Amino acid sequence: MSGRRYDNRAWLGVLPVLLIVAFSAVIPLMTVVNYSVQDIFDMSTRVFVGFDWYRDTLRDPRFIDALLRQIGFSLLVLSVELPLGILVARSLPRASPRTGLLLVLIAIPLLVPWNVVGTIWQLFARPDIGALGAAVNALGIPFNYTAEPLHAWIVLLMMDVWHWTSLVALLAYSGLASIQNLYYQAAELDGAGRWQTFRLVELPRLKAVLMIAVLLRLMDSFMIYTEPFVLTGGGPGDSTTFLSQHLTTMAVGQFDLGPAAAFSVLYFLVILLLCWLFYTAVMRDRDGADVDAN
Amino acid sequence: MAEITLEGLRFRYPDNPMDTLEALDLRIASGEAHALLGGSGAGKTTLLNLLSGLQTPTSGCIRFDGRDVTALAPRQRKVAQVFQFPVLYESLSVAAMLAVPLRNHGWSRRDAARRAAEIAARLDLAPLLNARSGDLSLYQKQLVAIGRALVRPDISLVLLDEPLTAVAPAIKWQLRRVLKTAQAELGATMIYVTHDQTEALTFAERISVLHAGRVLQTADPETLYEAPSHEQVAHFIGSPGMNLVPGEITAGRLWLAGHPLGGAPGLTDGACTIGFRPEWARVSAAPAVSPAAAGTSIGGVPVTVDAVRVLGTRLQQPEGLVGIRVGTTHVYTRQPIDVAPGCPGMLHVRPERLLVFRDGARVA
Repeated sequence: MSGRRYDNRAWLGVLPVLLIVAFSAVIPLMTVVNYSVQDIFDMSTRVFVGFDWYRDTLRDPRFIDALLRQIGFSLLVLSVELPLGILVARSLPRASPRTGLLLVLIAIPLLVPWNVVGTIWQLFARPDIGALGAAVNALGIPFNYTAEPLHAWIVLLMMDVWHWTSLVALLAYSGLASIQNLYYQAAELDGAGRWQTFRLVELPRLKAVLMIAVLLRLMDSFMIYTEPFVLTGGGPGDSTTFLSQHLTTMAVGQFDLGPAAAFSVLYFLVILLLCWLFYTAVMRDRDGADVDAN
Repeated sequence: MAEITLEGLRFRYPDNPMDTLEALDLRIASGEAHALLGGSGAGKTTLLNLLSGLQTPTSGCIRFDGRDVTALAPRQRKVAQVFQFPVLYESLSVAAMLAVPLRNHGWSRRDAARRAAEIAARLDLAPLLNARSGDLSLYQKQLVAIGRALVRPDISLVLLDEPLTAVAPAIKWQLRRVLKTAQAELGATMIYVTHDQTEALTFAERISVLHAGRVLQTADPETLYEAPSHEQVAHFIGSPGMNLVPGEITAGRLWLAGHPLGGAPGLTDGACTIGFRPEWARVSAAPAVSPAAAGTSIGGVPVTVDAVRVLGTRLQQPEGLVGIRVGTTHVYTRQPIDVAPGCPGMLHVRPERLLVFRDGARVA
């Protein structure tokens, strides 16, 4: 020993944090894990069933359908919102007195509560009285999102794009604003066209913020609940029922606590996996950037 | 490479009552290394932007080999530029980066790669062709930026905007040497903008001194040093700059503080400014050494020694700068340190070296 005293009093200092984390995260999560391995009939009658619920859930065609729909929706959302957000950010004037005002205007959809967004689009797209729905019908194109799955998806996608593209745009704008004018001048003198300027000057500088945008939008869209619940209620049929809505139906609607718990754990693990993938990607990129700085 | 001609080039910002650049005439020979020297606000950057086409002159015209390019966009002018700090395409390798200007102008992938390798070899970058900008030192990055500016063989003009600013002082000379060698070998017409006279004097064949939007003088380094046409140039070039003291011309003779310094044939009587470089003058402890021995003007001007600064020794005799007061003006001489601060002394100036300025311009 080098004369330094070791004791365990430090644990006492960490205790409050441990308690808070326990109550806010660990205990609820463990409760769910606990439910997921039991069959619960009523408060006093329960049977340990092992991984049965997990096996059932993974084989449940409704779960698989919801998962596929979810993946499809998230990819669709990303493929529209990322390019559109970059386009919006590029078309914003830099360092003009109007820029601040424009940024605020653009950010407005982000401030609207999610169920209000759903309501707005529910009304907007109604085929009978909605400005959008009625207008499309008036053009002679039959449109009814409450009956046609494709129409429901289109409205849902438009709603999400309206709601969240500004987030991508704001992030991309902050990335673009950090690019010095010299880089554009250099590209111009090198004879670079618009696409090349974007690819060589802007895209490398946007990589970090776009990574964050992808992460945020992927996670958020993967957990989407409120807006489709208000807009379509998961219908027509099950055509817009995504994971969280399916889960709610099981847990709250049918009170299938065991299967719902197993579902929740799987859902949680999928999101955890996505987070981890992105975190690794971002950190690897960050390491690269550190080397750049040296 | 092209001969660059500026004719009456003038630039004024719309809301500015003053010209940022006043009617500027300049001819730069094809393959010349030319420097634009001036302090901040002299109009260097504006002139650079006019040459590259990023800004359009208010009037006047720019010709490359006689062809008027004033109205052409930057990409149509065949102008390349190196900026104050390395501007690179970070996602590309050095080889790809050097090939960008060529590929943008219709070169095939193979030809562009060969030319890029050729330029890289000339700039000692050959081992780094596959490196990315993250692996490069600041010095190497700036070399790559220079390479990108030199890579097109059909380029008319290479602009360098204080290209050594970002590089560590210890290796500035190295970058300057590589740049100078490449310039000579490729015969590139280069305009090198700087506020650092050492850079300008060592790099360029000819230098234009810019001050408040005007070119005061365009000349080779020796002429600028020994025969500046303007007080500003005299003061700006040299370290310390030329001594400028108020003097007087009476009856064909030049007087400083009531003492004759030399002849001033052909000049009308009246006030003037006398200029001489520190090494053209000498202070000796009073009483004066004989003029014949010092090889300087008759008599000498009595002065007070303020300060001395030893810069080295020669034949075991300390040498350096002597600061003296003539009337109310401070001047320097560069000489052996054989006087002490506070002592009275006699100032002698080699008469054939005396320059006379009136209204800022040199008259003799």
